Amino acid sequence: MPPYHLIEPAKLFVELSYTLIVVFLCFRIFYKTKEIYDLTKYEGVKYFRITFLFFGLAFLFRFLSVFVMLMGLTFDLDISMYLFRIFPLVFNSYFSTMAILSLTYSMIWKELQLKHMLIVSNAIAVIISGIAFLSRSHILIIGAQAMLLIFTIITAIYIYSKSKKISQIFILYVLFILFWIVNLLTLGPQRFVPFEIQTVFQMISIAVIGIIYLKVSKWTI
Amino acid sequence: MDNIKRKRERLEMIFDILNIIRNHQNSIKPTPLLRQSNLSSQSFTEYLNELLEKDFIKEVTDENEKKFLTLTDKGFKYLDKYKLILGFIEEFEL
Repeated sequence: MPPYHLIEPAKLFVELSYTLIVVFLCFRIFYKTKEIYDLTKYEGVKYFRITFLFFGLAFLFRFLSVFVMLMGLTFDLDISMYLFRIFPLVFNSYFSTMAILSLTYSMIWKELQLKHMLIVSNAIAVIISGIAFLSRSHILIIGAQAMLLIFTIITAIYIYSKSKKISQIFILYVLFILFWIVNLLTLGPQRFVPFEIQTVFQMISIAVIGIIYLKVSKWTI
Repeated sequence: MDNIKRKRERLEMIFDILNIIRNHQNSIKPTPLLRQSNLSSQSFTEYLNELLEKDFIKEVTDENEKKFLTLTDKGFKYLDKYKLILGFIEEFEL
């Protein structure tokens, strides 16, 4: 007799495919921009490329969290809370916070010119992942990252208001971060977003990062 | 005029210096390079040290003990990729 809770193959397939595609594109962007950074040591390029390294790692840990959750549900396993549930969540929140902060800074570094941005962003990411560790709640991470997203939007609007236009690339960034936050909802004890809707979001987010990847490829032959 | 030159983007300035060297059959003395780069002596020295340190150029001494500056492979690569680098930075507004 099969177990009562079965992993739904469709859900696992969608999650795995989504993760593989997004992680592959993120790591490719990081790799493809290496030469430009090595030649220029340009601050904007540095933060742009580490954004995608951190997002790639965040998506890997997100998948790990989803996988552990599905395994636990399926086989009624008493999965160690700390080892398999908390740590993916902590790493997930650390890497994704670093990614959001790096992307924001890559847009505004000319205005701010912070000397110790990596230390500052690491401190913020450690605080948020510390909250994740202590609270064991993904809702707080979503809240914190949503606040960072709002901060990003306000900052970018302020900067772009000088040029009187909101750029296409800024819209792509916001969509990508937004879809990331929506994806975090799948880590909760209940599903806030139905599977079908979530799949649509995931397909759109693949399209968004695909466009970013194509734009990168155009200049990194 | 010199003020405007000083405000030029760092990447553009590096391109200009490397391009001057390339256009002189990849061998030029520091003094004519300083003159043609339209930089102040202080800025020129800073750029020159940076380019030497980052291995974009190297100093060679001929049989008469005269010093010349030449491009390294990395310097040539920078010149080849310059338009792509600028395009990338503009595309992503970095």
